[in-house]
Amino acid sequence: MHAYLLSLLLLIPLVGALLMLATPNVHRSLFRWIALGVSALQLIALVLILSHYNTSQAGLQLSELRPWITLDMGIWGILQSNYFLAVDGLSLPLVALSVIIITIAIISSWKIEKSPKGYFTLLLILNAAVIGTFCAQDFLLFYLFFEFMLLPMFFLIGIWGGARREYASIKFFLYTLLGSIFILIVMIALYLSTQSTGDAELVIHSFSFIDMQQSSHIISNAVLDPQNNVTILGISARVWAFMLLFIGFGIKLPMVPLHTWLPDAHVEAPTPISVLLAALLLKIGGYGLLRIAYPIFPDIALQLSWLVALFGVIAIIYGALAAMASKDLKRLIAYSSVSHMGFVLLGLASVTPEGVAGAAYQMISHGFISAMLFLLVGVLYDRTHDRMIQNYSGLSSKMPVYFSFTLLAFFASLGLPGLSGFMAELMVFLGAFKSGSTNYLLHESFAIIATLGLVLGAAYYLWTLQRMFFGQYHVKINLDNQLTDVDFREKLMLFPLAIFIIVLGIFPQLLLDYLNPFADAFTNTVIEGGKTIKVLLQK
Amino acid sequence: MKQELMLSLLLILVALPLFSALLSQLISEKYRWLNPLLSGLILLITTILAASLVSTHWNQPELLWQIKWFELGAHTMTAGFYINNTTLVMMLVVSFISLMVHLFSNGYMAGDPFEKGYYTMLGFFTFCMLGLVLADNLLLLFVFWELVGFSSYTLIGHWREKLAAAKAASKAFIINRIADVGFIAAIMILYSQTSSLSLTEVTAVTDTFWRNAAGICLLIGVMGKSAQFPFFNWLPSAMEGPTPVSALIHAATMVVAGIFLLIRMFPLFTVEVLDIMVIVGCTTALLGSLAALQQFDIKKILAYSTISQLGLMVAAVGTGAYGVALLHLFTHAFFKAGLFLGAGAIIHALHRAQHAAHVHFDVQDIRHLGGLKKVLPITALCFIICSAALSGFPLFSGFQSKDAILVSLFEWSGNSWRLIFAWSVVISSATTIVYSMRMVWFIFFATPQKTTQLTVSEVPFLLRLPLIVLSVCSLWFVVSFHPLEYNGWLMEGIVPAKHNLFITWLSMILVPSVSIMAWWWFRKRTLQPVNHILQNGFYLDHLNDLILKKPGLIVASKTEKIDKRWIDGSLHALAYTQVTMAHLLAWFDTWIVDGTVNGIAWMARQTGALARSFSGGKIQSYIFWSVITLIIFLFWILF
Repeated sequence: MHAYLLSLLLLIPLVGALLMLATPNVHRSLFRWIALGVSALQLIALVLILSHYNTSQAGLQLSELRPWITLDMGIWGILQSNYFLAVDGLSLPLVALSVIIITIAIISSWKIEKSPKGYFTLLLILNAAVIGTFCAQDFLLFYLFFEFMLLPMFFLIGIWGGARREYASIKFFLYTLLGSIFILIVMIALYLSTQSTGDAELVIHSFSFIDMQQSSHIISNAVLDPQNNVTILGISARVWAFMLLFIGFGIKLPMVPLHTWLPDAHVEAPTPISVLLAALLLKIGGYGLLRIAYPIFPDIALQLSWLVALFGVIAIIYGALAAMASKDLKRLIAYSSVSHMGFVLLGLASVTPEGVAGAAYQMISHGFISAMLFLLVGVLYDRTHDRMIQNYSGLSSKMPVYFSFTLLAFFASLGLPGLSGFMAELMVFLGAFKSGSTNYLLHESFAIIATLGLVLGAAYYLWTLQRMFFGQYHVKINLDNQLTDVDFREKLMLFPLAIFIIVLGIFPQLLLDYLNPFADAFTNTVIEGGKTIKVLLQK
Repeated sequence: MKQELMLSLLLILVALPLFSALLSQLISEKYRWLNPLLSGLILLITTILAASLVSTHWNQPELLWQIKWFELGAHTMTAGFYINNTTLVMMLVVSFISLMVHLFSNGYMAGDPFEKGYYTMLGFFTFCMLGLVLADNLLLLFVFWELVGFSSYTLIGHWREKLAAAKAASKAFIINRIADVGFIAAIMILYSQTSSLSLTEVTAVTDTFWRNAAGICLLIGVMGKSAQFPFFNWLPSAMEGPTPVSALIHAATMVVAGIFLLIRMFPLFTVEVLDIMVIVGCTTALLGSLAALQQFDIKKILAYSTISQLGLMVAAVGTGAYGVALLHLFTHAFFKAGLFLGAGAIIHALHRAQHAAHVHFDVQDIRHLGGLKKVLPITALCFIICSAALSGFPLFSGFQSKDAILVSLFEWSGNSWRLIFAWSVVISSATTIVYSMRMVWFIFFATPQKTTQLTVSEVPFLLRLPLIVLSVCSLWFVVSFHPLEYNGWLMEGIVPAKHNLFITWLSMILVPSVSIMAWWWFRKRTLQPVNHILQNGFYLDHLNDLILKKPGLIVASKTEKIDKRWIDGSLHALAYTQVTMAHLLAWFDTWIVDGTVNGIAWMARQTGALARSFSGGKIQSYIFWSVITLIIFLFWILF
C-alpha cells in the first residue's frame, strides 16, 4: 500500500480536476466543495505518508521507481527517464506544507465569483504540479512538474487578478520562463554527462538525481566531466552550469536583482493565489538549490558559496529596505518575502548542518508566516478594496481580533523568539557564523551583516502597526466605514496558521526530526563530493 | 528539599503567571471584575511559592536541571533551570514586585476598556521574566529576553488610541532590537567557539579575541535592555504606558535583566571588557542623574533616575563586585517600584479630583503640583521614604547598597586614571540627592499651584497597601539588621564585599549635608527650565532621528527607486527593445523576405506574359517581332 502513497497524493487533485471539468456549470457552489473534498482526501493521504515515514533514517523513502521512457539512440547511447517519486527529510515537510497551505487557500477562495469552475480546476492542477515538483527524483520528471506550475499560475493571475493583472502575469511568466530555459540547458548538459551504469561500451544515460550526484557516474570526456575541463568564454563548463542553475532557481526564490516580478505578481494576484505563490512557489527556488545545484556540483558550490551568501545578504538588506519604503501593504509583505528568502541562501551557502537545517526551516516557517500575512491583507482588502497603509489608522479599536492576528503574524515575521521565524533565522545565523571557523566557506561578517535584517524587519513592521492600528480610528472617507472584525471562515483559515507558527517556534524538534538527517546528509554529500572531485582533478 | 519536589514547584511557579494570562483571556466580558481578583490571587500564590523556595534553597549547592530541547547539527540544545542564589533573589524580586503591581492595578486600572489585554500581558510578562532568570542556557534566556521586550511593547502601547504611546512602544522595541544584534552576535560567537550555549559551558572560550568580542557584544545587548548610554532614550518615552507597568517593567524587573545577565555571565568577561563596563556605567549614571535634574514630569524624573541607578549597577559589575550590583538591584527594585506606584497614586488621586471638578491640566507636571502632603499624607510618607532610600540616607536600604558600590569603585580604581570614574559616581550620587529633594519639595511641600482648584482625597486602600509594603521594604533591615552593614543575608549568599570605613563615614556626612543644602536651595525658588540639553535627555531622540531614522528612510526610498527605475526600467527597456526588434523583423519579413519572393513571382509572371505575347495570334505583333529580330540579326552580322 505505502508504495503508492506519493502517486496517490498526486492523483487525487488530478482526478478532482477531471471530475470538475465533467461537472456541468449549473451549481456554482459545487466546485468549491469538490476542491475542499480533494484537499480533505489529500490531508488523509498526508497523514498516511507521515505515519509510514521513518524519521530516524536518512535518505529517500517511500520510493516509487517505474521505467517511463527508454529510447535507444544508437551511438548516442540509451535515453532513460524514470517515473521516480520519493521523499526525504527536505521533501516531506515541503509536501506537508503544500497540502496544508492549499487547503487553506481553498477556504480562502470560498467567495470567488468569476467562473469558479475554471478557477478551481486550475488550482487543483497547480496543486498536483507543486507536490510533484517536491517528490520527483528524476530531472526530466522534475522539470515537467516545474514547468507545469507556470501555466495555471499565469492564468490564475491573468484572469482573476487586479487592475494590472495582464502586465503582472506576463512579467511573471517571462521571468520564470527565462529561469526555466537556463535550467533546461543544464538538464540537457547533465543528461549528456551522466550514465546510470558504468559500462564503457554501452552507455545508458540517466536523468536520476542520485546518479547525477555521484562523480563515478560522470561519463568521461563529456561536457560536464571535471577532468575534461571544457571551457566556454574562458569559464569552465561546470561553473557555467552551476551559475545557470543558480540564476534559474534564484529567479524563483526570488533573489535580488531578479525579484521584481514578485511584488507585481503579489499585488495583482487574488489573495489565495498570493498565498500559494509566497508560501509554496518561492520554496521551489530554495528546494532546487538544495536538491540539484549543490549536490550535483559540489566542487563549484564550495568554490562559489561566498557568492551565494553574498546574494543572500544583499537580498536580506535590500528586501527589508524596499519593504520599508512600500506604501501598499501587500507590496510591503512581498518585499519582506524577498528579505526572508535571503536567509535561505545564506543558510545553504554555509554548508553546515545548522545553516542547512535553518534554510529548510526558514522555507517551512516562511510558508506559514507569509500565508498568514497575505490572508490578513486579504481580509482588509475584501472589506474596503484598498491596501494603502496611509488610508487606515487606529484599526485595533475597530477590529480587535484582526489586530491580535496581525500582531502575531507581524511579530512572527520580524523574528520574535518563541515563533517559528526566529528559530529558522537563528539556525541560519549560527550556521553561517560557524562556517567561518569550521569549513572556512564564509567569513563571519556575512552573518553579522545579516543580523541587520532583524533590525530593519522590526522597523518596518512596527512602523506599519503604528500607522495602521494605533491612534484614533480613521479610514479614508470614500472607503466603507463599516469595517467588521474577522468572521468565522476567516478565523478558520488564520487560526491553524497561528498554531503552526507558535508550535514550530517553541518545539523546533518536531520539524528538525525530519530536517536534521537531511541537513547532515546534505553537508556530507557536498563536502565529500567536493573533495572527491578535487582528488580526481589532482590525479 | 528533595530535588523532584523542588523542580515541580519551580515548574508550577513559572506556569502560574502564564495560567493567569490565559485565564484573563478566557473570562468573558460579563465577569470582567473577576480578572484583577484572580490574577492578583494567582500572583500571591506565586510569591508565596517563590519565598518558600528561596528560604529552603538559599545557600544550597547550585542546581542544574536540563531536558533536551532540540538538536542542531551534532549538538543538543537544552531547556531547563539553572538555580543559584542569584536566581533565587531575582525570582523573589520578580514575583513580589509583580504581586504589588497586580494589587495596585486592581484600583488603578479599574474600568479600563482593555483591562483583559492588560492582565494577560502582565501575567505573560511575569512568566517571561521568571523564565529569563531561571533559564539554563543563553538561547532560552534570549528567547525570554525578547519576549519581555514584546510584553513591554504591548504594555507601553496599552492605550492604543494614544499615538504617542504607540510611537514610544515602537521606539523601545526597535532600540532594544538594535542592541540585541549584539546579543545575537555573542550567541553566534559563543556557539561557534564552544559548540554549546549552556550558561555553565560558554564561559570556557579560550581564544582571547573571541572572548573579548563575545563580552563586548553581550555588553551591547545589555546596554539596550538596561538603558545605558547611548541607548537609554527609549526608557523616558516608555513612560507613556500605564504607571503600574512602568513600576514593574521599566523600574524593577525588565530593565535589570541586563544586570542579571552580566552577573550570570560574569566569568566570561575579561579585564578589558570589565573596564569598558565601568566606563559605560559611570557615564550613564552621571548623564541620567543630570537629566533627571531638569525634568518636570514626575515619571520622566523617575525614568532618568532609573537610568542613572542602572548605570551604577553596571559599573558595580565592572569593578568585579557583582554581588554588590545584585544588592543594589534588590534594594532599588523596592524603592523605585515604591516611587513609581507613589507617582501612580498621586496621578490617580488627582485624576479623580479633576474629574469631579471638571478642570484639566497635566497632573504629572510637578510645576502644577505642590502642597500635596496635607491631602495625601500616607502617599506622601511612602514617597518620601522611598526617595530617602533613593538618595541614600542612612537607615534606608539605598544607603547600604550605594555605600557598597562606592567602596567597590574606589577599591577598583586605586590611585590611577580610574579615579575619575569613581569620583563621577560620587557626583552622580550627590545629584541624585538633589533631584530627589527637588521632586519631593515641589510635589508635597511647595506652595500649591494648579492643585488649588481641586479637592483631593487620599487614594483607596488597595492603592495604599502596595505603597506601604514597598516603603517598609525600603528600610535598612532588608539588607541586614545593622544599618551600616551591607554584608547581610544577601551578600553572604553571593560574595561578601570589602569595607572601607572612610567612604562609609564620608557618605554619612555627605548625604544629609547635600540634602540640607538642596532643601535650602529649592525652598525659595520656582521651577524654570534651565538647560535644554538636559531637559531633552541630551537630544538622543533627535540624534536617533538624525543618524538612524532619516538615513534609513532615505536609503529605503532610494532602494525602491532602484527597484522601479533601474531593475524594472532595464527590464522594460529590454522588453521594448525586443518588441522593436520584433517590429523590425516583421518589416523585414513583409518587405524584404516576402518582397523578394513576391518580386520573383512578379518577374516570372511578367516574363510569362512577355513570352505569351509572342504567340498572341496578332499579325501586327508577329510582324513587329520579326522586324526587331531581323534588325538585331543584321546588326550582329554586319558589325
